[in-house]
Formats: sequence, C-alpha cells, structure tokens
Amino acid sequence: MQMETQSPSKPRAGIRTYLLVFLGLAVITGVEIGLATVGLSRSLRVPIFIVLSLVKASLVAAFYMHLRSDARFFTAIFITPVVLILAVAVLFVIA
Amino acid sequence: MREATRSADEAGMFAAGVRLGLDHLKLGMWLFLASEVMFFGGLISAFMHFKVNNPSPESSLLDVVLVGLNTFVLLTSSLTVVLGLAAIQRGDRRGLIGYLTATILLGTAFLVGQGNEFATLYRHGITLSSSLFGSSFFTLTGFHGLHVLVGICWALSTLVKALRAGYSQGSYLGVEVFGLYWHFVDIVWIILFTLIYLI
Repeated sequence: MQMETQSPSKPRAGIRTYLLVFLGLAVITGVEIGLATVGLSRSLRVPIFIVLSLVKASLVAAFYMHLRSDARFFTAIFITPVVLILAVAVLFVIA
Repeated sequence: MREATRSADEAGMFAAGVRLGLDHLKLGMWLFLASEVMFFGGLISAFMHFKVNNPSPESSLLDVVLVGLNTFVLLTSSLTVVLGLAAIQRGDRRGLIGYLTATILLGTAFLVGQGNEFATLYRHGITLSSSLFGSSFFTLTGFHGLHVLVGICWALSTLVKALRAGYSQGSYLGVEVFGLYWHFVDIVWIILFTLIYLI
C-alpha cells in the first residue's frame, strides 16, 4: 500500500482565497454568457472571449492546482505542451 | 563512508517519494496532464480547423445559456474539491467526505446536462456520423465527458478511502493528486466552452 505523504510545498492559499477565486470565475462566466447573448461582432467577440477564458484557466491552475505556490518545475511541465500547441496554431494561421 | 551516507540519504528520499526534491506522485500526475494537453490540443485543433474552414449552421442549435449553467456546475465542483483538500489539511475528515460527495453529485449533474444536450442534438438529426460538425463536436465533447466520468469514479474511490480513514491532516496526497486531475478537466471545459459555444 502506498504511503501517503505531505507535499513538500510552500503554504497554500486559504479558504477565503478559494472562495474569492470561485467568485471571480462565476462572475467571468456570467459576463461571458451575457456577452454571448448580446451578439457582438466577430472581430470583437473572439479576442474578448479568448482572453476571458485564459484568465479563468489561469485562475484555476494558479490557485486550485496550486501552481502559484508549488514547485516551478510543475508549471514548466504544464506550460510546455500548451506553448507547443499554441505555436502550432499560430503557424497554422500564418500559413 | 561519505558515499555510504549519501546512498542511505538517497534511499530515504526515494522511500519518502521526494528523490528529485519533488513529490514523485505529483510529478507523475503533472507529466500525465502534460500528455493530456497534447491529446486535447489535437482534438481542439481539428475542431477549430473544421469550424473555421467549414462553418456549419448546425452550431446555431447549441444552447449557450444551458451549457453556461453546466459550466457553472463544473466550476463549483472544482471549488468543492479544493475545499475538501483544505478540510483534510486541517484534519477535518467529515468535511472532506462532504465535499467529495458534493463533487460527485456536481460531476454527475454536469454529465446529465451534457447527456441532455447530446439527446437534443440527436433529435435534430445531428449525430457522430451525420456531418463534419457532428463528428468533431461529439468527439471533442464526448472525450471530455469521458474524462469527467473517470473523474467521478476516481472521486468515488477517494471517498471510499476517506470513509475508511485513509486520509488525515498529515496524509492527504491522494486527495491532492485527484484534485489536480479534476481541475485539469475543469480547465479543458473552460477552453471548450469558449471555442465551441462562444466564438
């Protein structure tokens, strides 16, 4: 049976921070749904929604997955394939 | 003598799961999640390629508001997971059990919502093989739903271990690693919600 161990990381965010992050995620999602029903032009819609989703994803990764306080190496492992995928996407658009 | 001491230290670190100065289980989980980024990256790229080059009127059948509520459900489940972890970190085992149960219920609610969406599309004749849109949409969202299902099963096994007092204030790595997976699935949905339903 595997021994459970504590993680060797810095002190974690508190419950208040988790709730504030959730509030931020909920508000952004509400704004997204609201903007989607308004019917913005495509040139405005695409960058706004992409930025909002990146903010949400970053909040979850930084606070709920503890990348903000954990070893930087974990962040590097996670970010590397994201950068690769984005690079391929940019190359695809340019081509 | 010094070599023997160093060897003993390394054996101790290996036994403690921190040979690299990093927890081995968490390192393995992050490497797995990196491979999952590539997996979903491929599916998302294919979906976006078809969406840009072959815009389909079928996408107008997608209900942004209902899926937005489903997104809210999944975001809430991420909160319950992290609150469960915080609970066991302060030794509150009943709190962990409660939050894990809530996570399972919220994950199930998400899948029910997704199933309802799939059924609605099927009623409109959109299936996995009916069109390019149907194929790319059901493949992408279906694989995500499958990940949620796996997450629910994992949450159930974590819950069973919590009920058997398998976690404590000084022993919660299993909860943390499960949380990494669950939050990743949440992040994937955040991206999918934007790319499929919003833009």
